[in-house]
Amino acid sequence: MKDLKDIRDDQIRVVGEESKDNKSSRNMYIIVSLIAIVVIGVVMLLTLNNKKISEQQMVEPSLFEPEVVALPEEKTVELERLGREVGLSETGFVEIKDTLINDVPIRIYIPHNATMSLHIGKLNRTDTTIIYAAQAADVRADNGGIVGAFVLKGEPKAWGLSKRGFCASIDGNITIGVEDNSPLFEEATETGGYFFRQYPLVKNGAVVENEIKTKSVRRSICDRNGEIFMVESLTKESFHDFSQVLVDLGVDQAIYLIGSSSYGWAVDENGQMHEFGEDLYYKYKKKIPRNISYLIWRKN
Amino acid sequence: MKRRLIISTSVDLVRIDPNQIVYISSDGNYSTLVQADNETRMVSYQLGQIEKMISSQLGNDGKNFIRIGKSLIVNSSYIYYINIAKQKLVLSNVSSFSHTVTASKEALKQLKEMFESEVK
Repeated sequence: MKDLKDIRDDQIRVVGEESKDNKSSRNMYIIVSLIAIVVIGVVMLLTLNNKKISEQQMVEPSLFEPEVVALPEEKTVELERLGREVGLSETGFVEIKDTLINDVPIRIYIPHNATMSLHIGKLNRTDTTIIYAAQAADVRADNGGIVGAFVLKGEPKAWGLSKRGFCASIDGNITIGVEDNSPLFEEATETGGYFFRQYPLVKNGAVVENEIKTKSVRRSICDRNGEIFMVESLTKESFHDFSQVLVDLGVDQAIYLIGSSSYGWAVDENGQMHEFGEDLYYKYKKKIPRNISYLIWRKN
Repeated sequence: MKRRLIISTSVDLVRIDPNQIVYISSDGNYSTLVQADNETRMVSYQLGQIEKMISSQLGNDGKNFIRIGKSLIVNSSYIYYINIAKQKLVLSNVSSFSHTVTASKEALKQLKEMFESEVK
């Protein structure tokens, strides 16, 4: 393919031809650039000459080894896992913990012996292998499509970069992050994995600011020192306050899950189902959006 | 047979009559193709890559497309209205679709001059 030059926002070009540009301004750029190069060259030449002279006058053989300044060792504090130790032989379940951070009551859902995946469409609530479900990606109001890139079991269902946060599940490894272009999208398509995008909340332990300022029940999927869990605010919170709660909880990376009254559930170790949100699509037979998507955890 | 633009990825392929493309906008690492039937399609290529495809696949027919700044490629057949002050460009076939996009004043000025020169 023919190599095309970059284009500025104030330029146009017929495809396949060179950019149209203001000739006089381009000539001016060339003249200014040439003058700048000559001036820089002269200054560098003078500086080098001066330096050579002063080095010849000043340099003495070194008698001492160069001083090595020891930097203070970084203190690493081992974070305790939030979830308890569970044997691999135990049946999968979600450990549910309520706590209060910054006066914000939150519920933490920690899955044990389970694998994360995604699902599009209505869920089967009688499927006992599902121990956690929550809505994942947003659905576009105009055409019902999925907002942002989405891969379902290796099959790309949507492309796009509306939101910079992403979560990928590939061969059981979960990665949560904030990037414009994540190679994990391609990797998920090649390996039968899962990938979706949502608002970023926490990146490398710091709050990510989002434009939305309204308050609502917030949900998220988080990575805290390698431990993956979901957090839900039990009161209506702004994105900022909720993200700050996650940071104060010690979360390294977190992205949003659809909050407010969106429906989902978690199954605890006694097999009891804890529902959240409003089950309009399930109980009242309200028409479910074609591309509604869920993040689910299934028992191993 | 009339040339078609083919945009192929590892998992899918779009094959479209260039006349059915109204404009293509950039969405970061992806591009959105807006069609004359009012459908939109997102493709996993950057706008610059699409521009190269148009140039290499369509030859002279590709000259019907104009790259405007970093974010747009428009089909010049559908350029209907240019307003430099409002930075507004309307792409329409004056019957079934009309799309308004924005561009820089300088780019729109050049576009206007380009069309003016065609009638001189």
